[in-house]
Amino acid sequence: MTKVLIIGSGISGLTCAIECASRGISTILVSPFPSERAQSVLAAGGINAVLRTDNGDSIEQHIKDTLNGGCNIAGVKAVTGLCSEAPDIVRWLEGLGTVFSRDKESKIMQRPFGGQTYPRTCFAGTSTGKQIVTALVMETRRYEGKGLIERRFWTDFYGALIKDKTCYGALLYNEATRTLESVTADAVVIATGGQNRMFSKTTGSTQCDGYAAGKLFEQGVELKNLEFIQYHPTAIETDRKNMLISEAARGEGGRLYYEDGGKRVYFMEDKFGEKGNLMPRDVVSKTMYETGRDIYLDVSFLGKAQILDRIPEVYDLCMKYRGLDITRESIPVKPSVHFFMGGIAVGLNHMTNISNLYAVGECASIYHGANRLGGNSLLAAVYSGRTAAKDIASRKVEQEPSDWSEFASREQGRLEAIREAEGAVFSVHIKNMLRENITGSLGIVRSEKEIDKSIEVLDHLIDVETSGMVRYDSSELEYFNYSLGGILKLGKAMLVCARSRCESRGAHLRSDYPEREESFKKATIISYDEGEFNTRLVGEDAYEG
Amino acid sequence: MRVKILRQNNPYSKPYWQAFKYDGDMNVSVAAVLEYLNYNDDVKDENGHHADVISWECSCLQAMCGGCAMVINGKPGLACDTFLRDLKGDELVLEPLRKFPVISDLVVDRGIIQENLKKANAYIGEYEHDDKYSQDLEYQIGRCLKCGLCLEACPNYVKGVNFYGALFANDSYFINARRKSDKESVKKNYDEHFAKGCSKSLACEKVCPVNIPTLASMARMNRL
Ligand SMILES: Cc1cc2nc3c(=O)[nH]c(=O)nc-3n(C[C@H](O)[C@H](O)[C@H](O)COP(=O)(O)OP(=O)(O)OC[C@H]3O[C@@H](n4cnc5c(N)ncnc54)[C@H](O)[C@@H]3O)c2cc1C
Repeated sequence: MTKVLIIGSGISGLTCAIECASRGISTILVSPFPSERAQSVLAAGGINAVLRTDNGDSIEQHIKDTLNGGCNIAGVKAVTGLCSEAPDIVRWLEGLGTVFSRDKESKIMQRPFGGQTYPRTCFAGTSTGKQIVTALVMETRRYEGKGLIERRFWTDFYGALIKDKTCYGALLYNEATRTLESVTADAVVIATGGQNRMFSKTTGSTQCDGYAAGKLFEQGVELKNLEFIQYHPTAIETDRKNMLISEAARGEGGRLYYEDGGKRVYFMEDKFGEKGNLMPRDVVSKTMYETGRDIYLDVSFLGKAQILDRIPEVYDLCMKYRGLDITRESIPVKPSVHFFMGGIAVGLNHMTNISNLYAVGECASIYHGANRLGGNSLLAAVYSGRTAAKDIASRKVEQEPSDWSEFASREQGRLEAIREAEGAVFSVHIKNMLRENITGSLGIVRSEKEIDKSIEVLDHLIDVETSGMVRYDSSELEYFNYSLGGILKLGKAMLVCARSRCESRGAHLRSDYPEREESFKKATIISYDEGEFNTRLVGEDAYEG
Repeated sequence: MRVKILRQNNPYSKPYWQAFKYDGDMNVSVAAVLEYLNYNDDVKDENGHHADVISWECSCLQAMCGGCAMVINGKPGLACDTFLRDLKGDELVLEPLRKFPVISDLVVDRGIIQENLKKANAYIGEYEHDDKYSQDLEYQIGRCLKCGLCLEACPNYVKGVNFYGALFANDSYFINARRKSDKESVKKNYDEHFAKGCSKSLACEKVCPVNIPTLASMARMNRL
């Protein structure tokens, strides 16, 4: 293949672009804003790789931890690929300029993160994701200079150009000209991140709205495991969002507790022993939920010096946004939506069920099963971008040049109709209702009753949207208007997936089905067929080769 | 509180002032005020008339992405990192950054930042770790948000035609510290597009939301 279109310029999109360009493939990388604004820059904690074995660690153990952490529904082959390439990925990132923290012997430092048998999370101070983005952007610039990568900003995904289960490019919305443009390519890679914006408050970015996955779903792309939504156990609520208190705070020794009659109960340690505070995220969030109490995280006993040295960002954000001095006071924490294990279903090569359409990074679902381990998603973002690029480079082009101008002008007409629609229901109102319902029914613990109620609301909202009853805001960018339909579809798909999994596993807990069931030791695949949302359970072999 | 915003519908239309009433919590950031004003079905100005949704760029809401850089009560800053409690007076005045073309309202096109870095070939190429450079300084530079506040505050930066500003000086140090060969061309670009035009006001350091010590980068680059 010689021409690739990548949608989204976070860590996965950047990596894929670099890896395509380094193989001589001409690459267009689009996003509304530069990579410095992508959610990837928020990742603080680190990236996992086995860099040393003298302490007993091994790649096999990384694979085992990842599979166990994911409650044994991720594919062994996929996870083996991910963990085996991790050491090389960390070295590659360093070679591009990522400033990893080093110890006195100049070795890359590693810290323990939840669910790990050995400490294997490499980090770059308190801004691992940011440092990686800085390095990747520089390398992208190098290929820009050679004419192999073109970065386009102020550009949003509208839809894919799909015919007979093959993708030929994408329709893009140009924010400057406010028009649609079809861009053909031998392969399209979706790298649009998660769907945080679908919830009221999360730890993530407002740019991750889930539209691309929702639109592609409407266009016949299968999605997977949408019920698995990671609640990070320790977030501190602020006015506009839940801010992440990095797992590093517990990695450094921080202890979770609640108060009972003036006494502290260290419930995680009581239940799971010494390493209790660092159990996998699903376990910690669930146990916190079950206490029914206000939970606190204490790091004050580490002392000011260690706090300022090892977790200064936690100190800063608590002080700035809550006026809380963590060297003296405990942090009120609660679980918050943080990461999406589910997403676009892909095979080992990261291709979707549509030929020549790939998905990478957080919007793709393959490595994390029912629960992701901290530090594994930055790894997956890089690994998936690389894997897709390798596959793309290995394929011969067989596509005939195709003309999509008629399709583009039809969709442009739709866009204009949206601009002029005089419906009665404000689009902002629909988005708020969507958020309220999704947040309410896809909490840490779910039940069929609540999910059904939400599905009913979403059905109604989808009806309102498809029958032209929405009043869009003409002063907003069209993106915020036309994206509504896709976002609503993804919202409903998440609910339908959650309803269909009648068991409790990892991040999906059902009050009406509290046990884990062997018959559900599979992935949920959901597809869309003329308004029908169909789910099925598949084994590892179906998607992971 | 009265919130006065310099608005502009699109790149070609005329800017105009519009004022709003904010009666929410005062212990919040400017970003929260903007979200609050935009939240309702129908945005209203201070006289209760319909107003367009206020455009502003936003992603992380916690001073890690640089999206919401704007001019707040006359000073460049990040909306999510500037708190009402720290502002003087009882009026909040918001304007777009003045050194970049306005797209709409508080959203500006900062493409020139990426464009100039590309022109100056700001990349590492072949990597070599050299202990003589400061890992600590490299780390701090690696955190640069490319938000443009240093350019906004700089008395020497105009439109980025020849003088590329502090973020370029910092990236130059970063690249030199990590590349194996041809450090001379980095230095040459640095001299041409930074050193020659900098009058050392250090406004860039003061305004930087992640506190990058530009003076340290300069000192080291000038020594080469
Ligand atoms: C607070 C926080 C801390 C984290 N810490 C860690 C950690 O320590 N370790 C770890 O492994 N993981 C961590 N994660 C998770 C990890 O950061 C993400 O999974 C990963 O960075 C995702 O990268 P990505 O490239 O897939 O997506 P993103 O970085 O989200 O990038 C998505 C890109 O797509 C673009 N986009 C979105 N929609 C459209 C559209 N419609 N059209 C065009 N472009 C679009 C966006 O603008 C952006 O450029 C953390 C996440 C959060 C929120």
